[in-house]
Amino acid sequence: MADELDLLNNPSFRRLISRRSRWRWGFSGLLISAYFLWGVAGIYFPEQYAQQFMGSSIPIGLAVGTLIIMMSIVLSIIYVRIINRIENEELVGEEKMT
Amino acid sequence: MMPEGMNSTAIVVFISFVAFSLFITWFAARKMHSVGEFYTAGSRITGFQNGFALAGDFMSAASFLGITGLVFIGGSDAMLFNVAVAVSWAFILFAFADRMRNLGQYTFADVVAYRLHPERIRVLAAVGTLTVAIPYLIAQMVGAGALFETLFDIPYIGAVLIVGALMTIYVVFGGMIATTWIQVTKAVLLVAGATALLIFVLARFGFSIDNVFDSAAAAHAKGADIFRPGGLYKDPISILSLGLAFICGTAGLPHILMRFFTVPDAVEARKSIGYAVGIIGYFMIAIIIIGFGAIGLLTGESEYVDNVGRISGGANMVSIHLSRLVGGEVFFGLMAAVAFATILAVVAGILLSASAAVAHDFYTRVVRKGKISEQEEVTVSRWASVIIAAIAIGLSVLFKDVNVGVLATIALAVAASVNFPVIFLALFWKGLTTKGAIWGGVTGLIVVVALIILSPTVWVGVFGNAEAVFPYTYPTLFSVAAAFIVTIGVSVTDYSERARIDRDGFAAQLVKSEIG
Repeated sequence: MADELDLLNNPSFRRLISRRSRWRWGFSGLLISAYFLWGVAGIYFPEQYAQQFMGSSIPIGLAVGTLIIMMSIVLSIIYVRIINRIENEELVGEEKMT
Repeated sequence: MMPEGMNSTAIVVFISFVAFSLFITWFAARKMHSVGEFYTAGSRITGFQNGFALAGDFMSAASFLGITGLVFIGGSDAMLFNVAVAVSWAFILFAFADRMRNLGQYTFADVVAYRLHPERIRVLAAVGTLTVAIPYLIAQMVGAGALFETLFDIPYIGAVLIVGALMTIYVVFGGMIATTWIQVTKAVLLVAGATALLIFVLARFGFSIDNVFDSAAAAHAKGADIFRPGGLYKDPISILSLGLAFICGTAGLPHILMRFFTVPDAVEARKSIGYAVGIIGYFMIAIIIIGFGAIGLLTGESEYVDNVGRISGGANMVSIHLSRLVGGEVFFGLMAAVAFATILAVVAGILLSASAAVAHDFYTRVVRKGKISEQEEVTVSRWASVIIAAIAIGLSVLFKDVNVGVLATIALAVAASVNFPVIFLALFWKGLTTKGAIWGGVTGLIVVVALIILSPTVWVGVFGNAEAVFPYTYPTLFSVAAAFIVTIGVSVTDYSERARIDRDGFAAQLVKSEIG
């Protein structure tokens, strides 16, 4: 218990927590709000939803939906990489201290 | 329906899959020596393998068969589900992957019991797991029975018994090792099958997405209106409820959460969910295009769709009919077998999570307080699997005509309203107490079941009343909110000695959850 409380006050550990949670909630918030904005927009702008996307025959609503799916994939890849880097930076210092 | 009865390709492919899966099970059984191997394959699965297994756990026959059917009938609306699914998986990666893997051992209950009263919270988790797993199992098995009846002319009960027997063999003898490899095999088959179908469909349209949409609009009775938001877009509350059902519900599915523990550490856990997001996202985009392609290709083919747009064998048959139309008899047989393999793999995963809830969370940790040998725990798990499988088979035979969609909604909504709030608050909120978690979980369960009964699907669709008491199909906005409010309210007014222990435990939990 004492060790754990020591760790909680360790600056490197505190940075790990805050850096990780910034990405965690930032990315979650971004994706979930994109989803709900897109969904609710469909109620109020049905005409625009069905319009063709940039000269193709794809409806704008479906194109945006597809972009949100792609955004989920891209943000996931970025998240995995960033968190691995953060853990490497902060936990290397961590092990020296404990 | 089927003109010449049995399709030999389907039977050959399906029997090969079963033979291969039994070989995997036999191989896994020889390597099975401990509780950890039974529940989580000894945590030796790599991130890449687990990514496929996770994607396989989620890509049930419902998504492959159901969503193309939805597109065929309702057009663009189905995209609401597909996007929610991709967002949900990314959210699971961001919010849950690290902390769950670092804190847990076999089940999500291990995570919530870390600082809360272990016995009480495990009873709640076991109830939450079973109320998700049993309806989900029945939905899959009833679907399998109906599919097999249509495809192979095998009687419904026969199909349910085949699925039930195979899933029990996989879990009892092969545990998580066999379940994982069967799931990986099926995921590879399903993604490959969907890709081949997509290519065949696109080939019919000269590989032009524009042509896919143009001919869908030309063929469909509603014309270009199938691109407009339809019946699911009633009001913002409906959209929020549907989105929350998928986003929070997927994050509360016990058989998916259990997969976090099959990899050695948080690094691999993140990687595995990253792969899963990629596979599932690709799959979701592919089946939307396949669905619109089906509108253009199947409409007017009187063998599959009658002149008022009714699909022979029901909406779930769209992908299967399409496979036959664009790929011929051999490809059709292949896809029918893949659809069935999909169901088999999914039910095995769900059965394992249900038996872990009974044997590990309830029997081992609550009844025996952990004083039990590894050998005995594995034996208890095996018996639990047999009994749960028997119950699921019995209920599937009994409720042959149950609305599969209602069961799937219940499973997802319970996962969102009971499991998700408890896990989320246990991981991120210091103030959560045992009493709060239990009150919140029970509230979520009661509200979700009551609102589903009063909803249009059950109140009107099942009981035949004229108008629903509760107007929304998905109750999740209300039930998830109720669970959170009650959990937080009861926790902050909890001054018991136990509450102090619960809150004090957060510091140690935080350290372990961040660095493992």
